[in-house]
Amino acid sequence: MSAGMARVEEVFRDRSRRAKELKSQGRKVIGYLCTFTLVEFITAAGLVPYRMTGNMRKQAELAEHHLETIACSYTRSVLDLAIGGSYSFLDGFVIPHSCDNIVKLYGIWAQTVKHEYGHFVNVPHTTSKASLKFFEAELDTFRKSLEGYAGRKITDADLRQAITLHNKQRTLVRQLYEFRKGDPPMISGTEMTRVVGAITSLPVAEGNELLEGLVSEVRDGCYVKKNGKAPRLMIYGTGNDDVPFVELVEQSGARVVIDDLCSGTRPYWFDVGAAGDPVAAIAKSYLEEINCPRTFRQSPGTHEADLENRFGYIYRFVQDFKADGVILYVIMYCDTHAFDAPDLIEYLKSKNVPVLHLEEEYQASALGRLKTRVQAFLETIA
Amino acid sequence: MEAPIEKTTAQKSTETSKRVRLMVKDLARKAHEARAKQEPIAYLFISSAYDDILRALDIVSVGTENYAGLCAAKNCAEPFLAKAESEGYPRNLCTYATCGLGFDAMRRDLGGEMPPNSPDGGMDIPTVMLGTGMMICDPRYKWYQAAQRYSGSPVHVLGLLNPSHYYTHADLRDMRGYYIKYVADELRELVGFLEKQTGRRMDWDRLSQVVDLSEKTIKLWSDAYDLRKAVPAPMPIEDALNAMVPGYFMMGTQLAYDFYRELYDEIKYRVDHKIGTIPNEKYRLLWALSLPPWYGLVIFNYFESKGAVFPIEVVYHPPPPVEIPDAVKDPIERIAWRFYDQMTQRYEKSRSHTGDPWVEWFLELIDDYKLDGVVFHQAMTCRTIHTGQLHQMNVFKKHSDKPVLLLEGDIVDVRNYSEESTHQKVDFFIEVLEQYKARQSR
Repeated sequence: MSAGMARVEEVFRDRSRRAKELKSQGRKVIGYLCTFTLVEFITAAGLVPYRMTGNMRKQAELAEHHLETIACSYTRSVLDLAIGGSYSFLDGFVIPHSCDNIVKLYGIWAQTVKHEYGHFVNVPHTTSKASLKFFEAELDTFRKSLEGYAGRKITDADLRQAITLHNKQRTLVRQLYEFRKGDPPMISGTEMTRVVGAITSLPVAEGNELLEGLVSEVRDGCYVKKNGKAPRLMIYGTGNDDVPFVELVEQSGARVVIDDLCSGTRPYWFDVGAAGDPVAAIAKSYLEEINCPRTFRQSPGTHEADLENRFGYIYRFVQDFKADGVILYVIMYCDTHAFDAPDLIEYLKSKNVPVLHLEEEYQASALGRLKTRVQAFLETIA
Repeated sequence: MEAPIEKTTAQKSTETSKRVRLMVKDLARKAHEARAKQEPIAYLFISSAYDDILRALDIVSVGTENYAGLCAAKNCAEPFLAKAESEGYPRNLCTYATCGLGFDAMRRDLGGEMPPNSPDGGMDIPTVMLGTGMMICDPRYKWYQAAQRYSGSPVHVLGLLNPSHYYTHADLRDMRGYYIKYVADELRELVGFLEKQTGRRMDWDRLSQVVDLSEKTIKLWSDAYDLRKAVPAPMPIEDALNAMVPGYFMMGTQLAYDFYRELYDEIKYRVDHKIGTIPNEKYRLLWALSLPPWYGLVIFNYFESKGAVFPIEVVYHPPPPVEIPDAVKDPIERIAWRFYDQMTQRYEKSRSHTGDPWVEWFLELIDDYKLDGVVFHQAMTCRTIHTGQLHQMNVFKKHSDKPVLLLEGDIVDVRNYSEESTHQKVDFFIEVLEQYKARQSR
């Protein structure tokens, strides 16, 4: 294993270690969930953004007294960890309005898990002009709130610097994904999941350093994988921040070459504009450029045009990364993804892309049930 | 799977609420007539701030959530739910939505004809579908987006946001202005969309009149419900689940205003003459933030058979009347003010007390309506309202010793419900209430 990937493994195995170190040195650490958290503001305030995760290997017993089993098991898992003290090192938490599950989690978190700082960022569901203007005002509130907590002004220059750092991270992640276009891909899906898990636990500059090392290593040929044909797959779906599912797919004989996941491409497949007012630039990018079913995009007319408008980027991923098929992996009770599934399946089939639709709890122990279906799918596309 | 419940609807107490079924049929008839005349029809969700605009534009509306509720009450939702599942929508999705999508899919398969046994002649193909992007309820935009595959009707999603109740370093007073402006801007955008889709022009004076009438109606509706504080309970929840129809589906019409005038008078008469829901009222209960099992409203009569009545409920309650300054003349701005103030009503109070605006309301209702206990219903397919109930119960129990019951079921899908087990839970709860009251009287 290369030095870079060894470092990734080390960080991923104990994601909170660096944040705890920084806290002991007097830095404030802000936990967040979801792609829609505007990490640029947290970085610009001199705080450390830390993306919280669940734990697929643990039953969410502690959350059961607060959040029903009909809630998304990913949010239940995150809450369970928080109640159990796994996030007691955090000084604050930021939750964006992405979906019903997350909104409910925020209210419960606020009363159950005590932090010095708590903020909810409302993200409109539509991309209308009014939504954009509103979102800019909402981000101004977020900025002032962070200033109040951090005890310092967040200047436009601070924001621009944070935008540069986070854009650099996005570029580096996309460069790593580029190495997966080849056959065989230079980095596996399991490795990429760990990379994203690792960098989202570090201050952005440290994450960038880690990514730069990895990119150099791959370029230098440290990651040449064994030859031989294997089906190339894309995974689409919800928060899949741990490796068991990707591992299951890859151990079944496939190569996961691309994804459309909140813990994969979604936070990295756009850049925040560098010109003009930084708040307006951040608002525009997050509202318009993140592809998540929780953001409604006005249909351009016919049903076919609507599908192309909503899912065209997925087919472009399939083409660019030469994927042989797509697995829709939806965590149970994620309504936004579940509503989209029939439309997305119809769309991909119209493009002759084989699709497997799986719906399961965020539980490693539940994945065994999926193995046979994944294997059968691989046989059909082999 | 259990056999469908033989009797689904509950026996009502007030004559006024018994008239509502005919009003619902009339709404369906108007939609069929509009379709026949090729006049515009809008699919809509309740509590979405756009009712006054539709009234002023004379656009006939169809409440799709409540059509699913009607299907459940008529014991005929199952084929629509099954159809939606066969189309790829999981069984755990909102069954208002899957009932509607299944209906749409069947109507498409029949070439636009209504599926057999559709209550009230079915739902007509809409001219537009009006979704909303709110703080909660993702199906409000995902359902209609999905439904486009069956009807091809255009969807417009109205942004309707309100702030959260909890911030450590932000002040709601700083947010109020831009939140209200957002809703107003979005409502104006909606008017433009509707004008374009229907060819009709907004008469702004008429909209002002509609808004005035709505505000008067809300006040009257609210006053009528204040009368329900009386002991014995003059009007129970099963009546209220009917009586909400004019308020949620006919707001801004003289018909709705007249309905609540009549309801007010009837409740007042019952209060003055001490006419209760049941002869021997022993326990007064709150139906908390929970949608009802539309296929099994008869459960309320079961409670009554044990001496328990629900004088008031949190769901389908009239929106609180709000004070809008006279200086705010623009009808769109008045709607936006109304929305914001209604949604944030108990925020400040909860910050210094329970921390939860809903629990704050439960406690107020318990005091005002002299209640002995609280009943929640967990509708298995609705995350919007029914996740976080456990937390609400925990918070509530920190501030009140009143007994709490949690029932399980669904809004539409009777497969998630067991009448026998529900009766057992109710029986046990009645015993708990009895012990509680005995302790209180010592």
